[in-house]
Formats: sequence, C-alpha cells, structure tokens
Amino acid sequence: MNPASPGTPGRVQGPAPSQPDLRAPARFISMDAAVENKPLRIALVGVPNCGKTALFNRLTGSRQKVANYPGVTVERREGELVSTDGRSLRVLDLPGTYSLNPTTLDEAITRDVLLGRLADTPAPDLVVCVVDAVHLPIGLRLALEVKRLGLPMVLALNRMDVARRRGVKIDAAWLCGELGVPVVPTVAVRRGGADALVEVIEAGRWIAPRAFIPAGQESSREDADQIQHDLQGLLSASGYSPPRENPWFGRIDALLLHPVAGLLILLAVLFVMFQAVFSWAEAPMTWIEGAMNALGVFTAAHLPAGPLASLLVNGVIGGAGSVLVFLPQIVILFFFILALEDSGYLPRAAYLLDRLMGSVGLSGRAFIPLLSSHACAIPGIMATRTIPNWRDRLTTIMIAPLMTCSARLPVYGLLIAALIPAKSIGPFNQQGLVLFTLYAAGIVSALLVAFVMKQFARDRQYSPLMLELPDFQWPHAGNLLLGLWERVKIFMSRVGGIILALMIVLWFLSSYPEPPPGATGPAIQYSLAGRLGAMLEYVFAPIGFNWQIAIALVPGLAAREVAVAALGTVYAMSAAGDDLSAALEPVIANTWSLATGASLLAWYVFAPQCLSTLAVVKRETNSWRYPLIMAGYLFALAYIASFITFRVVRAWA
Amino acid sequence: MKTDPSLHDAGARRHLSLSDLYRGESATVAGLVESAHIDSGRDASQSLITRLRDLGFVPGARCEVVARMWPGGNPIAVRIGGSTFALRRAEAAAVRVQLAHEPGVARDPGPRAGASAVAA
Repeated sequence: MNPASPGTPGRVQGPAPSQPDLRAPARFISMDAAVENKPLRIALVGVPNCGKTALFNRLTGSRQKVANYPGVTVERREGELVSTDGRSLRVLDLPGTYSLNPTTLDEAITRDVLLGRLADTPAPDLVVCVVDAVHLPIGLRLALEVKRLGLPMVLALNRMDVARRRGVKIDAAWLCGELGVPVVPTVAVRRGGADALVEVIEAGRWIAPRAFIPAGQESSREDADQIQHDLQGLLSASGYSPPRENPWFGRIDALLLHPVAGLLILLAVLFVMFQAVFSWAEAPMTWIEGAMNALGVFTAAHLPAGPLASLLVNGVIGGAGSVLVFLPQIVILFFFILALEDSGYLPRAAYLLDRLMGSVGLSGRAFIPLLSSHACAIPGIMATRTIPNWRDRLTTIMIAPLMTCSARLPVYGLLIAALIPAKSIGPFNQQGLVLFTLYAAGIVSALLVAFVMKQFARDRQYSPLMLELPDFQWPHAGNLLLGLWERVKIFMSRVGGIILALMIVLWFLSSYPEPPPGATGPAIQYSLAGRLGAMLEYVFAPIGFNWQIAIALVPGLAAREVAVAALGTVYAMSAAGDDLSAALEPVIANTWSLATGASLLAWYVFAPQCLSTLAVVKRETNSWRYPLIMAGYLFALAYIASFITFRVVRAWA
Repeated sequence: MKTDPSLHDAGARRHLSLSDLYRGESATVAGLVESAHIDSGRDASQSLITRLRDLGFVPGARCEVVARMWPGGNPIAVRIGGSTFALRRAEAAAVRVQLAHEPGVARDPGPRAGASAVAA
C-alpha cells in the first residue's frame, strides 16, 4: 500500500476534468484490486465519534470496526474507491482528533499526515473534513483549523438526519458560501448516504482554501485564538442553537455515573459477563466436543493403524480440536465487549474508575485498553496510544498482559472443568466463581504492579482526563455480528495455522525416536519431547508440574491456548491403544492433584506465554528494554505465585 | 484549595469554578483560567486551556454538571453544547462559571464548602 508516486506538491485543483456521467453510481472495489500508477489520496479528518469511520466504510466498502469511544481508530486504515471513469482514489481514515494541537499519539499522527511529515504518507490531495451536525461547534472548529492548512478540502456534514430530528438548523449551502469550500450533507450509516459526497469527490471541483500557515508548520496560539474568533462569528451568524436534549440520556447518566450505584452496576455488568462466558457456552461446547470425538473415532476406524492415523487422530484432531472447543466462550466474551463498546458505556466505566485507578498511578483512560486486553493483550496494548502521558501509557502497557485474555480461557476452562465440581453456590455456578476469582487475581495483581511502578517513577507530570462520554445508542446489530465474525475468523485461522503446525511438530517430537524393543513405559517417554520434558521437570517440580505440563509449556510460549492442544497431544500419545481418542478432561481429573492444577492456574495468571504480545510491546515502546523487563517480571511472578499456590493447596487439601 | 463558606454570596459568585458546582446545577462559562492544581508548568496549563476551549468551554456556553464522583467531585461529568465530558477536579477548576440561578432560588442548601474540599 505504498505507491512510489512522488508527493505532488498538492494544493492543486482536481487533476481530472469533470466527467459528463457524474450521476452514474460509483463502483467500489476492494483494496487488493489493481491500482493505477498515481492514485489520488483522500484523507478523512474529524473529531472522535463524528461517524468518520462509518463514512469510510460507506465510501470504500471496507469491513472494519465502528465503535463509540474516542480512539478506536488507532491503526492506519486505508481503502480504495474507484470512480466511474476508472480512476483510483485512495481513502485514508485518520485517527479522530479535536485539534491539530495534539495531546495524544493518535492525534499527533493525524496532524503529521496533514502536514506531510510522515515519511511513508505524503500529504493528501484532498481532505474530507467530517463534521457531526449534532455537535456542530466542535467539528466546525476543527474544520476551520484544517482549512487554514490550505489543502483542497470538502466538508461532509454528517448525521444530518439526527441533527434535524433534534432541532439543529444548519444550511449547507450557506455554510459553503461562508467557508468557501464545498459542504455536502451525509448520513454515513444509511445506504446511499454518501452518494452526494462521492459525486463532489469525483467531479474534482475541489477548492484549495487560502493557506494561513506556511507548508509543514504547526499553528500557533494566535492562530488558535483567530480560529475561535472565526468560529464564534460563524455560529452566531448561522443562528445555531444546540440540539434538543433527550431527557432520558440525563436520567440514565445520573444512574450510571452515580458514585455508588454506577460502580455497583459496573461490577454487576462485569460479573454477568464472566458468568455468561461459562454458563451460556456449556451447550455449544458439548456439541463441538462430541463432534470432534466422533471425527476422531471415525478417522481411526477408516484409516489403517500407523503413523498417518496417529498424526491425524492425536496430532490434528486431538490437538487442534481441544482448542476449538473454546470457540463459544470466546464468542460470548467478544459479544459483551463489542456491545459495551458500541453502546457508549465503556468511557463511562473509565469515568467511574478514574479515581480508583489514579490511586495506583493509572489514568481512567487506561480502562478501555485494559478491558480490551481481556479479549487479547495485543489490541489492548495498541489502544494505549490514546493515553496522552508516556508514564501512564507505559504502566498500562506493562500490566496489560495480566488481564485475562481469551487465549487463557481454554487453559482455565479445561482445568476448572476437570478439577472443580460444577455445583451451585446460591444462584452462582461454582466453576464460574473460580473463573471470576482468576480474572480478579489478574486485575488485583495488575493494580499492585502499577502501584509499584508508580513508586519508581521520577517525573509525575500531570495529565488531564478530558474524556468524551458519547451519547448512548443501541449497539448496531450488523456491526456487532461483523465484529464477532472477524474474531471467529482470527481464532479459526490461529487454530488452523499456528496451532495446527505446532501440533504436528509436537506430534513428531513425541513420536520419534521410537521406543527400543521391549520398553515398558509409554512410547513418549523415549521420544525427544519426553527427554526434554524430563529435563524441564527439574525446573518445574518445585511448583508441582509433571513432565507432561513441562512439555506443553514450551510450544505454549507461541500462544497460550497451544498448551491445551499440546497437553491433548502429549496425553493422547502416552495413552495405551484403546484410549487414543479419550478426552483430556477426565485424564486430568484422574491423574492430577488439585495442588498441581491450582499451581498451573496460578502460573497462567502471570506467565508471559505469548510471544506476539512481547513483539507488540517492542514495537509500541520502540525498545527491547520493556519487553525484556516485562518477560522477566512476569516469569518471576508466575514462578513465585505457582510455588506458593502449590505449597498452600497441598498442605490444605 | 480554600473552602470559603461565603461562596453563596453574590460578591463571591464570580470566583466560582466548574468544580464547585453541585450535581444537577447549571451555569454559564465565564472564562478559563490557569488551574492552581496543575504544577507542571505554564505550558501544560496553557495547552489545557486551549483544549478546553476546543471542546466548547467558551464564555457564554451553558453547561450542567451531570455527575460528580465521590469524594470531592473528582472527576465530574459535564454536559455542554450537546456533548458530555469527564473532567478531573484540576481541569474543572480551570473553568470559571456563573450560576444560571439567582442565589436563594430553589437551591440545595448543602455545604458547598464540604463538597469542594480537596483530597490532595
């Protein structure tokens, strides 16, 4: 996605003459289609929550997440729009910003792209400034600031339907005359809601306003004063009045943001979420398990016994299948996170927790990255870019892996199901309670680590909260399903890709060399994996791990859930003839002590068993120092926690 | 921050900041000042003021405190120009306000001084 086209010194009028067939519908094709040599570059700019990402989807047809809290668009998103005459237009979705005077990394990226400062992204040929008509002043102010850069610009007046309903009167034609740039009303969430915008873009009738700022330079404080003056003049001349308030929003916020009731509701929401992960997933998990077992039996029955049958049944079906079982739990977890995100609740949770998190040196803004980390630490760590203060951001990055990510669910799920009886305590499922405890252990230890880091910090520069709490809305069902589908695809491709490959390698290592004739123990003990496990057992014996666990932890470094698949393969390989397709869960229930299981659970609360997370930390902090510190402190904590857990449970049980 | 029981007096009202308002109270923004709570230099204070103005905290704008976190209103949630923002005490202290009501009219007689006590 990096054309060799030299940055045309921009600021020119649309290079192609307008076409006669302007009214014909535009044809959109996806990004991987052939592109012309010099595509025009269009950048979308707007404040957070103005519907910019929805408009981007509308323009490019690209499928991506639309969410409601500031800063979801942390990645560079580019799509392609092919005009009716076959020209290729590149659309870049810039991170939302309130101003070109940035306070976060995200906002700095937007400014740098517009000023042409980024090496791989030349300044755009056209800026589409997206202004939410419902919240006109904030958006219009940014538009005035962008206009002063002198780039060709079109203003998209988005959410016009909602604005009209709420009594905002704004005349696009009048605004166009005042600003001197085209102003196009849009409704990004409606099909065809951006057609008028596409016409203007295609027509090439863009106007480069007069530049007030020398190319490549930032605006000064005097500029900001002038912009504010212009904005107030514009607003009073337009007869603008704020939108009518929806009285329900105020009432709901009074409850949700209440110091006591709000926190209780937040706790209840999180508790229901984690209970649901266990109880709703039960039935579909049984189906998947049954299907995988049947497949194993079927394969074993129809293939001649030998290495191939063993590879397929033990390595592929036994290994990957034991991870696939956890798909329903992951879907449910993501369903809750996506729905909370879409509804606008997440920034409110950040508001509620700001004080509490501040006491351990975190910003309330850290809540959103940390909640995302419950799905996966990688998007969580990337979302920390919306935290303005470097110290706050680093602390959040360092504790993100302590949040219970969805890759731990297969491990927790397996051990809890095997070792904890499924009885009810009051209205709660005992297994769900243990799971909740594990989540809580991750969160509490993260707060403790943050507190320790705070004591070491030298510069405690104050950094404001200033978080927008967007208006409530019902989660959009289409968006929700799309988001879930993306997650399922990622999970399935992991099962089909890295997990499957590692399982085949592990199957090979645990099958060869074959046992000598007359050997009595299980074959795996004589294999390479068996010998490696025997060596690692010296390290892990003090915390109660047997050699099977020790082997499983090694491929488990690539991704946490691989350990479950690896255990499945290792146990399948060590079982005698008939038991080949036996499920892992009863094996663990019969052969492990409660202390060993609890110790492994404690290990997984802390251990950095995920190389991708460390790689992302390296990328986001731009240094090897922090991923190394992270791996060191997490392994140390894991060993200590497992050691204590093992000893305590053994003495007590 | 000093706790001044005379804040109800007409003469003291111009010293009121957004952080002194009760929950549910409306006011008009009078201006932005450097916050006494921010000790990391003039630049940080100035960029805070600039950002608050960018968000719509401009003289004459109507605002309402939707929620106050306990204790001490840190942070608060403010409704302004059809948007809601969460501000910490330090940010809210930078916004000078004038009450929408005249003193004595249907006001909660609770201890404002207590509400604005700072847990440092």
